[in-house]
Amino acid sequence: MKILSRRTLLRGTFAGSVVGLALPQLDAMLCPRGAYADGEVAPPFFGLFFWANGVPWHAHHGGEQASAGTPDLWTPGTTGAGYAPSEMLAPLAAHRPTVLTGLQPHTAIPAEPGGQSDGHMRGFMVGLTGDRIRPEGFDHPSHTLAPLRPTLDQVVARDTTFTASGATRFRSVHIGVSDARFHDYGHWNAISYNGPSSQNLPILRPGQLFDLLFSVPPNAGELSRRASLLDAVADEGRSLRSTLGAADRARLDEHMDHVRELERRMTLATGASCVAPAPPIDGDLSTRSNQMAELLAVALRCELTRVFSCMLTSPASTHVFSNLGVPDGLHKTCHDGLWENVRRVTSHQMACFAGMLDRLDAQLDATGTPLLDRGVILGVTEYGEGWKHSTNELPALLVGGANGRLARGVHVREDGGNFARVHLTALRALGLPYDSWGWNGGETTQPFDELLPLG
Amino acid sequence: MRFPPSITICLLLLACNGSIDSEPARPGPRIYAPGPAVLPRLTAAQYHASLEDLFGPGLPLLPLEPDTNPYLFFNVGAASTTLSEVGAQRYDESAHALAAAVIDDPERRAQFMDCEPASPGDRCVRATLGHLGMMLYRRPLSDEEAERWIGIATDLAEGNALTGLRYALAGMLQAPSFLYRIELGSPDPVPGHEGWGRYTDLEMASRLAFLLWNAGPDEELIEAAVAGALSTPDAIHLQASRMLEDPRARRAVQAFFAQYFDLGRLDHVGDRDPLRYPQFTSTLTASMRTEVELLVDDVIFNRDADVREILRTRRTFVNAELAALYEINAEGATAITFVPVELPDDGPRAGLLTLGAFLAMNAHPTETSPTLRGKYVRERLLCDLVPPPPADVATTIPEPGPTPRTLRERLELHRSRPDCAACHDVIDPPGYLFEGFDSIGATRSEDNGIAVDTSGGLDGMPLSDGRYLGELLSSDPRVSLCITRQLFRHASGRLETDAEDVAIRALAQDFIAGGSRFLDLLLSFATSDAFRMIQIDGSER
Repeated sequence: MKILSRRTLLRGTFAGSVVGLALPQLDAMLCPRGAYADGEVAPPFFGLFFWANGVPWHAHHGGEQASAGTPDLWTPGTTGAGYAPSEMLAPLAAHRPTVLTGLQPHTAIPAEPGGQSDGHMRGFMVGLTGDRIRPEGFDHPSHTLAPLRPTLDQVVARDTTFTASGATRFRSVHIGVSDARFHDYGHWNAISYNGPSSQNLPILRPGQLFDLLFSVPPNAGELSRRASLLDAVADEGRSLRSTLGAADRARLDEHMDHVRELERRMTLATGASCVAPAPPIDGDLSTRSNQMAELLAVALRCELTRVFSCMLTSPASTHVFSNLGVPDGLHKTCHDGLWENVRRVTSHQMACFAGMLDRLDAQLDATGTPLLDRGVILGVTEYGEGWKHSTNELPALLVGGANGRLARGVHVREDGGNFARVHLTALRALGLPYDSWGWNGGETTQPFDELLPLG
Repeated sequence: MRFPPSITICLLLLACNGSIDSEPARPGPRIYAPGPAVLPRLTAAQYHASLEDLFGPGLPLLPLEPDTNPYLFFNVGAASTTLSEVGAQRYDESAHALAAAVIDDPERRAQFMDCEPASPGDRCVRATLGHLGMMLYRRPLSDEEAERWIGIATDLAEGNALTGLRYALAGMLQAPSFLYRIELGSPDPVPGHEGWGRYTDLEMASRLAFLLWNAGPDEELIEAAVAGALSTPDAIHLQASRMLEDPRARRAVQAFFAQYFDLGRLDHVGDRDPLRYPQFTSTLTASMRTEVELLVDDVIFNRDADVREILRTRRTFVNAELAALYEINAEGATAITFVPVELPDDGPRAGLLTLGAFLAMNAHPTETSPTLRGKYVRERLLCDLVPPPPADVATTIPEPGPTPRTLRERLELHRSRPDCAACHDVIDPPGYLFEGFDSIGATRSEDNGIAVDTSGGLDGMPLSDGRYLGELLSSDPRVSLCITRQLFRHASGRLETDAEDVAIRALAQDFIAGGSRFLDLLLSFATSDAFRMIQIDGSER
């Protein structure tokens, strides 16, 4: 079992308190890594934030959208540092998001099978992986879709430079807020992938997130016996794998990797007891979003994890924003061309994002630094706008300071620019030595240097 | 995902001429050959049902990784997705909760143990683990496996034999041999069947159980397999007939039809505006689902009728709120009591397509959708594939504008564009037949203040409203073929290959010739090569 060092015990008592969540008395018991010596900087964290159905359409989306005569409520009027926030970005202003506009996927679109140009497919995949969808097996009528590679959160979570500062209890944590779904399968359900058929399904209930993060089995003896048991389970998996075909063997291997990961976690866990948060009040998206963000913020401060994804709403979301007076599901509302309703919903989704950032900012680490100063959070959606599914003007937000490696509050615009540059910028801000990013026509070697003060 | 790419069926359908041969045949082989093996993980429903069958009701059933249903079926999701890390954790938590409930309760323990262990790893512990292992793994344990769990039951016992047993059970409940259906087949010795595998008797026991009970096999079935009594179609027929007599068969048939009819979408029918739809309650869609379940059960088990009767029958089952929605009298119906009723001859309803479930789940919160309703008829009942809208096509329905218009009139403007008409001419006409029902399935005579027009049709055959479509489909062989195809996908956990399509068509011919009785289809499928054979691909092993 891990022994709590005296330093850990000392630093643990410095931790700030959290509104609405009763923390255990000894914070360090909960937080396997709680403390850094003077001058040490806590390592950065990375998060993906996804919202559905783009932003209200405007002239730059091209096509029929150009003749709709609707104003651009997303792009700030000026570029550079200290830009004046647009109407849609106003809810986020306090967190000084860096906003990148004018970008689009540069990936090639195979002719067969048809349907790959659609924003739900192409924009989604480029926004999360930097690559196109996997053409083999893509089936448009059923919208069955797979990526070619892991999503950016998993690239970071498995990067050896990123993990060099020490293993966390959870490699990554995945949450979702709205449970409305366009389909109950595939990428309509989750935004994080380990690989083509391996997803990280989001946890959708604050209570379940709490259990995952903070409830630890009763005592050290029980934990070590459960770990032995998992060892036996993994042994059986090993003896079975030789009978299977390659694809099924890979699925079983991944399952057994998870079993090993649970086993590892049990040897890290310490006996802590937490008081459960208040039961969630269903209905309003922002209420649940805030509850989950609060738990996530504690987990990040404690370094239970350093990578997360949050799917506020799922791709092509059918969420009904009746609280905003929008009577139909969001996807249909977009298709019906109801711009004013999309305006209200987008603004509300940004306010939910801001609520999450508020909670990250409220967490101060042992040196009194707000959590958000340490992290990089990439905000993405599936396409530019949902009326015609244009992937032009694919929005990107980079929030957080990455321990001083990422410029905050800057508007960068590049008309027709390659979206993969956003990913490369985020990776470099995290201190990861990537020289290039993007595939299948979307390759780039150019991060946005103006956002990387330390290079 | 490993689905064959060539599944698109041309949608330019001609009028039905009474034979499945009117559906364009696929290019490719005309001779059956088995398709590739899959490795399905148990769905949450199968996991829970298997354990309740084994240990009795009232177990702590913790939530597991949610199942997904690509191509409609959870078995397809279970055979193509990879478990997430949180999913592995849920298995762990579930296993410990179940093992404690089963082992710590003397009464429950007595149901599967006829001895009381005296010391860790003793004869009683060994016998119990051997029995539980066989039931969970759906085959006898290998020596190595038996030793592994006896070792756990000894090492982790802390001096208490039952504690050790509890850990060993929690381990077996997380073992891949329980959680995955490992069905590999062994080479079929029949000349000409090179590359064919035949499922072993134990694998057949497992396959029959998941097909007919949607759970693992019982002891009798495993014993039959061990005795070599599942090797011939006759022997399989004997066991399958016994299994269809068991109440568990009803559960499995319900699971198939709920997925085939896509009833899960009823859970996502959002709340309706109470001012506009005062009859919509928080329980209404669940009532609609129960109605369809009772109807399916009645046609298949009580009446053993042509399964397509579901599409035309005036008999249905309503509780009080459905009776009110349908404006009929239903004596004895309460909020929770469903009673059988005959829908009136002169009323607008007859068959599934005029019931609440179909009408409400294929509509939007504010308006109906002839497109969604027509697409359901095409894709679900006829197994047609509707191609995607061409790239950059306008998918917006024209706004109402200054002159009031019905939704139908707006859709017809949309269809006047040739690029839209290609698909919507096929999808929308069957959907128009239901314009007399609003977005929650209540009757209506006006849309946007204008009288509704329910005329439409199928494949060029003009019809005046939805009742006639149900009547037409209830004798359409394409519906029987579609059910056969979907049953194959459900049972196989994947789409069929072109060579397997040959067997599906042959099964469908027999199904239709015998009056399209679903229990007959289950029996003929269970004894067919399409269910008993698998491709053995030496290159991958």
